[in-house]
Amino acid sequence: MTHSSLRLLTAMLAAAAAALSAASAQQTPGQTIAIQNARVYTMAGANAGAGANAGRIDNGDVIIKDGVISAIGQDLTPPEGATIINAEGRIVTPGIFAPWSQIGLVELSLDDEANDASTDSHFPLSAGLDATDAFNPASSLIAINRAGGVTRAIAAPDFGTEMFGGQGAIVDLSGRANSVFRAGAMQSVAMGAAGIGYNGGTRLGNWAALRDALDQALAYAANPTAYVMRPRNDGLSIGDLKALGPVVRGTQSLVVAVNSVTDIRALIKLKAAYALNVIIIGGSEAHLVAREIAAANIPVLMNPIANLPAQFEDIAATQANAAKLNAAGVTIAFASAYADTHNLRLLPQVAGNAVANGLPYDAALAALTINPAKIYGVADRLGSLEIGKVADVVVWDGDPLEVSTRPIAVLIDGRVTSLKNRQTMLRERYKDLSRGDLPLAYRGAN
Amino acid sequence: MQSGVKSDMRTTTHMAAATLAAILAAAGCGGKGEKAADAGAKPKDEKAAAKDTGDSAQSPSRWASDPYPSTYQPYPSVTTVIRGATVLTGTGARIDNGTVIIENGKIAGVGGAELATPEGATVINASGKWVTPGIIDVHSHLGDYPSPSTNSTSDGNEATAPNTAQVWAEHSVWPQDAGFTRALAGGITALQILPGSANLFGGRSAILKNVPSRTVQGMKFPGAPYGLKMACGENPKRVYGDKGGPSTRMGNFAGYRAAWIEAGEYKKKWEKYWDEHGKWAAKNGDKKKSAKKDDDSGKEPEAPARDLKLETLAAALNGDITVNMHCYRGDEMAQVIDMAKEFGYKVTTFHHAVEAFKVADLLAENGICAAVWADWWGFKLEAYDSVRENAALVDAQPNSCAIIHSDDEYGIQRLNQEAGKAMADGNKMGLKITPEHAIEWVTANPAKALKIADKTGTLEAGKMGDAVIWNGNPFSVYAKTEKVFVDGALLYDASDPKRSPRMDFEIGQRNEGFNGGSGQ
Repeated sequence: MTHSSLRLLTAMLAAAAAALSAASAQQTPGQTIAIQNARVYTMAGANAGAGANAGRIDNGDVIIKDGVISAIGQDLTPPEGATIINAEGRIVTPGIFAPWSQIGLVELSLDDEANDASTDSHFPLSAGLDATDAFNPASSLIAINRAGGVTRAIAAPDFGTEMFGGQGAIVDLSGRANSVFRAGAMQSVAMGAAGIGYNGGTRLGNWAALRDALDQALAYAANPTAYVMRPRNDGLSIGDLKALGPVVRGTQSLVVAVNSVTDIRALIKLKAAYALNVIIIGGSEAHLVAREIAAANIPVLMNPIANLPAQFEDIAATQANAAKLNAAGVTIAFASAYADTHNLRLLPQVAGNAVANGLPYDAALAALTINPAKIYGVADRLGSLEIGKVADVVVWDGDPLEVSTRPIAVLIDGRVTSLKNRQTMLRERYKDLSRGDLPLAYRGAN
Repeated sequence: MQSGVKSDMRTTTHMAAATLAAILAAAGCGGKGEKAADAGAKPKDEKAAAKDTGDSAQSPSRWASDPYPSTYQPYPSVTTVIRGATVLTGTGARIDNGTVIIENGKIAGVGGAELATPEGATVINASGKWVTPGIIDVHSHLGDYPSPSTNSTSDGNEATAPNTAQVWAEHSVWPQDAGFTRALAGGITALQILPGSANLFGGRSAILKNVPSRTVQGMKFPGAPYGLKMACGENPKRVYGDKGGPSTRMGNFAGYRAAWIEAGEYKKKWEKYWDEHGKWAAKNGDKKKSAKKDDDSGKEPEAPARDLKLETLAAALNGDITVNMHCYRGDEMAQVIDMAKEFGYKVTTFHHAVEAFKVADLLAENGICAAVWADWWGFKLEAYDSVRENAALVDAQPNSCAIIHSDDEYGIQRLNQEAGKAMADGNKMGLKITPEHAIEWVTANPAKALKIADKTGTLEAGKMGDAVIWNGNPFSVYAKTEKVFVDGALLYDASDPKRSPRMDFEIGQRNEGFNGGSGQ
């Protein structure tokens, strides 16, 4: 691939983005796009375990119509009038789906006015918080991470001030006003070292408090009008109990922060006792009980580069974790402070590190795309390139897991999106520091 | 309660707080918790002195006293010849099918296939592999924010006053931090441990060889000058805003300047004393004990009172200590450069210089290094204007000094990847950065910033035998170290569990048995 043809392609995509954004302004997402001559990783039929298969199609074409994949395969005839994107052999994957973030809730972590990710300590409400109330699709993080190939994410209130974090949503990173794909997709709760601060300083307190909260939620759900608030200082409010209803009914996922073997086993027991739909976040020692986790059908949002005894619950943390969990048949996806909300675009790098430490390549791709969709129960719509599914598609300029690779086209809901953002504009403004006829503030803003 | 902040500015995180960082074991560093609970750091040994002029030819300055001297000794090594690798020398050269010879702990030869094998040497066939100098991190908190991260191990920020130039990071460094071993597996052979960034003046840094030791003295890089840590902008404001100040950026500057004025006077006072004492000693020989003179001119001059804080600042003014300034914003860097001129010292390196690209010309003109992340940003407003091409734009200036640093116990394990990202983004904007050049961002340039470039940082004959064999191109996400040599000693070997250090804290725990140690 020469530089000139790359530039040509880039220019073509920019033109397509302009045309399509005009189209989207008229609420007509019916543009037809044909991506041709790509090495397509469809992720169709990808399963955890040794048999992970990314569904690779060489010299593949992807046809997108009305926001969804309408055809995929080799030598497809593009529909009349379709915008053609010649990938020239480059890799095409589903968009990256970040299974944990505060996207749209945080602009600057340390600035209260620019951070809605978590409430102040001892704010009385927790489970009832709902990310969609504050989700800001215009956040600069959205365009920046989209330019890194991230198309979908969980936007959830952060762990931080109370045992329950609140309800998170699945959002897209188009930046459009209506980018919430599914509200109330999950609830979170901090156990382990992360939770003991709210529960008497022990894991005993953590689990007793969680059972107590679930029992209250069950009692409330069984008969809301008869429910009497208990005289307990830090008891849950009606709003929180209401929010926990779908959790105790097992219809909403509960993302549980646990790392140690002890806490993971306690969670497996709790899941069985309450028939919950739980997801582990953390799981630094999960590899030691991988088969138990697989048998309990609990997915793990894990950090493949965690290899330090960061806390006593992480004594056995190892970079072999991802490979071992996958081999045992656990469905994994990645959540790492190395690729936190500002840098969800680094999830592929984190995945590459997992591969360097034994995770099969196809399984790493699955963990970035189809696995989050499965984990949150939306794999019928998202996470793979299959006919009828939402067209979140990325064309990469190299191996998507490689640190030198960047997307050259990112499609969300079948629309070519802009890869321009604050960072690329700042680069353009400051790349030449020589004094001009006007100050730098006149450059690069358009 | 804020959360998820990974780098040096976490100021209020408690263990109880369920941050993503805590859950996902990314402890971050510098400023993660201004828990200055035990305000220790009171040197017990007051007799070690500024008077100690140090006989070493390497530290001729009276200000470069060394009361906690390095006891580091290289470990035994065999003469080693690494053949067939792609060698990035750190001097800007790339040698395909190259040869690196390490003898007596030193680099003895670097060249092509024609280099002869010394008799009895161990030959490593490194065909298809890459060799680089040992990686150097100018910004780490290993040991002062060690793993496990608990209140009892939080020793990185003496956040009890805006000026704590009197504290020395080495008095906090726990040599049993498992992070050192993981960094070794990432190719790190030398590193600077800095105090945190809560304060205008945070204290002295420690420059270490990444070789496990019972004591921090056993890790100290022989002959490396100390560094002074300073901080710009938001952190001092945030920490001291309601603790008596500074509460503004102008307050920050007033604080720096007042301290430099005081240090200048202190320096003069001591230099006057040394001068007078020298004259007195010349006149009176060594007869201190019998110095009962009636005549006034013969009285031994009295030494001024020592002040640890001013001693460090005076040493910085005298150029004996490098100045490491945490500074995100370009406009603040410009003001700091003027301040350094006002008081006659030199800023060695701006750390976390997220906006270095805005003043890259100014940094190069003033010979100041910019130590940056490849792409971390957004934890606060001064870290908002980030570009992925930052390192590359700094580097593009003539006579520049771009450095990729970590400030993180996970980042330090993959500085090669961070440099790889920065190189790729520079090249995508049309700069032509080669691997043999980009490797300098994590080898030669940090060595220069730490003033140890005469000893390490490149593969050149006579330098320390600090070298890494990678299983492939080190700028790839898939690259892993195969062998890491420090002073010629093979201290990490991915294929030999016996060549993988395990810290005291870790042994006998349940991590043992599978891989363990560096390669965990």
